[in-house]
Amino acid sequence: MAESITPSSTRFVFPRWANYLLPVIVIGVVGGAFYAPVLFAFGASPKTMAIGYAPKQPVPYSHATHAGKLGLDCRYCHTTVEKTAFAALPPTQTCMNCHTNIKRTIPNVNHRALTEDELSQLSPALREIAKKPTLTDDDLAKLPPEDAQVLRLVVPNPNLEPIRHSWTSGEPMHWVKVHDLPDYVYFNHSAHVNHGVGCIECHGRIDRMEVVRQEKPLSMGWCLECHRDPGSHLRPKEVAVTNMDWNRDQMSKAQVSQLPAGIRDNFDVTEGDFVKMSPEKSNDLSAKLLKDYGIRDVAYMQSCYTCHR
Amino acid sequence: MSSIKHHVTGMEYWRSLEQMSGTPEVAQLLEQEFAGYDADTIATTSRRGFMKLMGAAMALAGITLTGCRRWPKEELAPYSSNPRGITPGLPEQYATAWELGGVTTGLLVTAYDGRPIKIEGNPTHPTSRTAKDKDGNYVYGSADAFAQASLLEMYDPNRSRDGVVDRRKVADHTKDLSPQKHTTWEAFAAAIKPVLADLKPKKGEGLVILSEANSSPSVAYQRKVLMSAYPRAQWVEWEPISHDNEREASNKVFGRVQRTVYMLDRAEVVVCLDADLLGKHPNHTRYANDWAQMRRSADTEKRMSRMHVAESTLSITGSVADVRIGVDPSRIYALAYAIAARLAPPKFAGQTPPGDHLVKREAKDVLMDEERKFVDDAVADLLEANKIGNEGPVQGEVVNRRGGGFVAIGHTASAEAIALVYEINGALRAVGNSLRYEEDTQEPLRSTYPDQQKIPAKDLTRMYAYENAKASQAVKDGAVFQSEIPTLSHLPAMTALTAAMDDNGIDTLLIIGGNPVYDTPADLNFAAALSKVPNTIHLSLYDNETSRACKWHLPRAHYLESWGDGVAWDGTVTLQQPIILPLFGGKSTIEVMAIINGDEKVTDGQHIVRRTYDEPAPETEEWVAFEKKFRAGLEAGFFPKQGPGVVVDASYTFGKFAAPEAFNPDASTYTLRFEQDSRVYDGRFANNGWLQETPDPLSKLMWENALLISVRDARALDLEQGHMVELTLPDGAKFTAPACIMPGQPLGVLGLSLGYGRTASGPIGDGLGFNSYAIRTTQNPWYVSGVKATKTGESYDLATSAEHHMLSPLSMAGEEYRIGKKGKNGKIIHEATLAEYKENPDDLGGKVRKVGLQLFQETDKNVKIDPILGRRSFTDLHAWGMTIDLTACVGCNACALACQAENNIPVVGKEQCLRHREMNWIRIDRYFRFEETNGGVEDPNPEVVFQPMTCQHCENAPCEQVCPVAATLHDSEGLNTMVYNRCIGTRYCSNNCPYKVRRFNYFDFHSQDPRSNSKWLKKPFLNLPDLEQMDPEKYNMIKRMVFNPEVTVRMRGVMEKCTYCVQRIHLAVIAKRGQGGDVVDGDIITACQQACPTQAIIFGNLNDPESQVSKLQRSARAFDVLHEELNTRPRTRYLAKLRNPVEA
Repeated sequence: MAESITPSSTRFVFPRWANYLLPVIVIGVVGGAFYAPVLFAFGASPKTMAIGYAPKQPVPYSHATHAGKLGLDCRYCHTTVEKTAFAALPPTQTCMNCHTNIKRTIPNVNHRALTEDELSQLSPALREIAKKPTLTDDDLAKLPPEDAQVLRLVVPNPNLEPIRHSWTSGEPMHWVKVHDLPDYVYFNHSAHVNHGVGCIECHGRIDRMEVVRQEKPLSMGWCLECHRDPGSHLRPKEVAVTNMDWNRDQMSKAQVSQLPAGIRDNFDVTEGDFVKMSPEKSNDLSAKLLKDYGIRDVAYMQSCYTCHR
Repeated sequence: MSSIKHHVTGMEYWRSLEQMSGTPEVAQLLEQEFAGYDADTIATTSRRGFMKLMGAAMALAGITLTGCRRWPKEELAPYSSNPRGITPGLPEQYATAWELGGVTTGLLVTAYDGRPIKIEGNPTHPTSRTAKDKDGNYVYGSADAFAQASLLEMYDPNRSRDGVVDRRKVADHTKDLSPQKHTTWEAFAAAIKPVLADLKPKKGEGLVILSEANSSPSVAYQRKVLMSAYPRAQWVEWEPISHDNEREASNKVFGRVQRTVYMLDRAEVVVCLDADLLGKHPNHTRYANDWAQMRRSADTEKRMSRMHVAESTLSITGSVADVRIGVDPSRIYALAYAIAARLAPPKFAGQTPPGDHLVKREAKDVLMDEERKFVDDAVADLLEANKIGNEGPVQGEVVNRRGGGFVAIGHTASAEAIALVYEINGALRAVGNSLRYEEDTQEPLRSTYPDQQKIPAKDLTRMYAYENAKASQAVKDGAVFQSEIPTLSHLPAMTALTAAMDDNGIDTLLIIGGNPVYDTPADLNFAAALSKVPNTIHLSLYDNETSRACKWHLPRAHYLESWGDGVAWDGTVTLQQPIILPLFGGKSTIEVMAIINGDEKVTDGQHIVRRTYDEPAPETEEWVAFEKKFRAGLEAGFFPKQGPGVVVDASYTFGKFAAPEAFNPDASTYTLRFEQDSRVYDGRFANNGWLQETPDPLSKLMWENALLISVRDARALDLEQGHMVELTLPDGAKFTAPACIMPGQPLGVLGLSLGYGRTASGPIGDGLGFNSYAIRTTQNPWYVSGVKATKTGESYDLATSAEHHMLSPLSMAGEEYRIGKKGKNGKIIHEATLAEYKENPDDLGGKVRKVGLQLFQETDKNVKIDPILGRRSFTDLHAWGMTIDLTACVGCNACALACQAENNIPVVGKEQCLRHREMNWIRIDRYFRFEETNGGVEDPNPEVVFQPMTCQHCENAPCEQVCPVAATLHDSEGLNTMVYNRCIGTRYCSNNCPYKVRRFNYFDFHSQDPRSNSKWLKKPFLNLPDLEQMDPEKYNMIKRMVFNPEVTVRMRGVMEKCTYCVQRIHLAVIAKRGQGGDVVDGDIITACQQACPTQAIIFGNLNDPESQVSKLQRSARAFDVLHEELNTRPRTRYLAKLRNPVEA
């Protein structure tokens, strides 16, 4: 051809190896189309992302000990839960209300050798025992109770150091927020607690947690499950809002016997050591609570502005 | 706009002259939803460029894994020990007070976990209370735009925050800012001690305290103490906007200084001579509230008060007046004189024949006839109204009844004119009937010095009486400053002080607040005089122009951070308590005065204030009684006033007043009138973005001032909006500013507001607008005649919101359908005169529509169920609704500011305002109406209607029908909800909204600098939005403290709009229903309703037939905007505007 190919008329031609790209692209696109939804559905779901979140706190505060073993009511510390949107964490003073008196009686404190100063405060007999390089709870258990008490009184719990610092300096404790909703959600504790939604509904068995973790997904779908059917999630607020053992389907006889008569009577089916509510009784209770607490209808409960504003 | 011409369409209401004359630009604005959106920039993007952008966006989305991570860790920090009486998470409210220009107002401040987040009026304070509950107790109060925006000032990161600044070693303070030395209060106290010790033997000669106007009894007491230690020291007050002339006139007529307190809740007739009682008067909140009562009585008693206004600019008062004329400012005296002459002809017999001076101009001149008619009507009305006043006893007591009338005159009028008005009111027997006087003493409440010596009754320490600035030699002796009669005149005192400073007569000058270097008259040349003073100290919130010219700058504590007290306009002693500790280590006036006084025992604000009220020794019986009283005062915010105030002898004398000069204006020159600015006051709020972006009520200017000029004058000069005009003053000074063509501006009068052109206010306010102080002189503080104006040929972009977010007048039913044919109500505004309303009340409103939401009733088989949203019903307990009363609205912007503070609304800056992107959820539409018979568009006297426009919460909302992601939809109580986290920013909703009330976050405005000049605001591209909000660099931690935690801070790319303050609804509903009850009428008030001084806005439950809002929605004046045409079924209904003009 006489006519030369000038740069301006050159058309771009893919090189031959580019042909092999096609199957790769097809596989990538088709595979990706399947892979991506799976990745997002499972990898990014609230269950994967949020449940089990248990950050380390400045003090290893044990809800299992305080709320479970000692039986403190949730509202002893989270005082604002019935009045405000936030269940405020307690001021350091709340810790010190008890710990100024029992500050040295924590059983697992002295897993270390005692200092000379501490030893000098003990009786000679006790000093001999306490000279061991480390003391365990078992060692303490072998001691006569009075001696164990004395030993505990001498040794301050190092875990509580930040609390003592906060108390003496007036600086706040910096706890890490565990149940952290997005900022565009306006959850109000008082609106739930005052209408018979128990702590356990969102927080799980806090009374059995050494370290608080997020038990429920706290996702919008999960919230709506309850907002669409509030009745079965309600409990008589006077007796059961903070009661972790309340369970319409299974509750021990001993616990039920402590409930007031009007409520106790709802547990009409006995199963071995446990009692539960029959479906009719349960429905009656739901209806009664919905009415008593003035729970709004479903249209209101799932309006956007109920939670977002 | 060279085409300002008579309109051709015959429509009634106009947002702007351009709209009226139907320019193509405006037509385009109406067609185009998003102004400033440059379609070409998108269109020119090539396909290739588009792919690149999208590819990059995808890649970045992948890299950052936007969704796939846990949000930032948050920490909770409870108190170490809970303060008593505080529940964390519950907002607290404290009564406090603030002072502006020497007048104190009561406030109620809401604090969240120790952070003040909202300022409202004190519901019980006599100057701020607005609404009563059913039992007759005042339940909420109003604070004006300035007071509300002062919250932002407290959190302004540009406030002086580096401690005391020592500039003693800086050679040229004004230029050289670098070698400043930051030091401590202790260092200052140590440095000032020897200076004061040197002054002691000289009895304080050469020591001057230059204070801003101050009503504080505590300061008055400290002044006494200072003066007893330094008898020859001097105390000068300076305010660029002062009430000097009123004080001077009062002293002349009554022999003492007193303030006039008008009782607009009684007056049937109010005649205002350049008095902006409802807008710029220090007591305007109370006045507006009282005035509105007398207007609303049209519904109940079939009568309204009538307001006659003659003014030299278009003010808020003028715009709601029934009779208004625009006049040259020099004519105010002539009008007062004419009224006086009509009332007491014999007194004036020997002088000019009554009214004769008005005829000196050619009879054919419209203006003069207009003035005569104004005086005739006003006097006839006043005499009629005061018949009632003449029947009963008025001597010596305040009569509690409706009736009477008075003449009010503005503080810019001459002392002679004001004195004449005092006498007119005496002649009308208005004193004690529709106005009263209150002593303006500024005397300390305490009667003894700290050493129990009695304070002499006669105040020889006042130094305002310096009336002759020429006697500067005497000034140096210090004698002239002290006078037995305290004629409070800031201007002569300031003149004398500057002269003394110039003569090296002043050794130490302590300046408390204010900014005299910037705002004193230009001919004083204060800055030059200041440089001759060896020791200069400035206490100020900002390191501003004056601070930079002083040797010491002391950071001042904001009023929300400090103790204090003050006296309200009506004489109520008001207490100021801090809500937060000083953020930047400032001290208040009284604490600094304690340092100067060497007061070592009582140094902190609280104890200084307590001492002022004679606190007895602790733990005594008297102390317990005092403590009870003081705490009650703190809780209420003020000490209740005893007695009715000063009621002077109601007889009148009419001394000799000079006849006014004939008015023969030179048509080639203009009168330039200075005025208080509606956004920056006298310049002090320049760095406040909230105020800067709030449009002026009438000119709708944002971010700057401009030269207001009437339509006819603009045409004579061939000016268009924004054309630069060069003014030449009689003294030869030149000044250039852009023209803002303003209907209602009197012919031949140019308006220019004070307070712009700051150079050291902070990054928000610096360099905005034009500094009118540069041409303000001691001779002409308020207006200058004989000003020449020429067009320079340059032009300037003025940001006005007059044409932003316009309701389109076009509709399917033709052009006139919405805006109304001549003489007929359209679909946007309804109005009538009182006479028409009495005759035919039902003609006013729209049809009474049952609000009850039958539209989507489940039982209604004819209604199609929405395929996306499903079945909707509005059968819930509450149906929220609102009414806005156009009769009561004065356009004062208090609601807009309240909304901004309550709802975390960002400031966008002038650049974005020019693109119509301001974010205010409430837009106050200001419509003009011109009378064809009166010269049409050139009518210097248009009628004005203010229509606050915000989301109407349509039951059948056009926005909801077009949202592709259901981000805006209804809740069961009828709120049109906006879900930010669902919005993807298509802006379809805004496009489809006929009311134009939706606002789009084009950028993350909260983290932007509103003054950035880049075309597209600089945007960090890679940072994730939520991390960005955590970044202290971008989100200043101090600035964040102002946010209301109950409201989401919106991010870039989402739509927002009025929510009816859903957070307030929820808080009240949760609190009430948690106790087993339900909300009742009055439990929920929206932020705008709370702030409205005239109670034009009422919110409540429409399901409750007895609620205030239900009753109003059923009233004869209620109408819906655009509903009849578009079937939007708005939940907000308007109440028609009523006027009470003089019957022809």
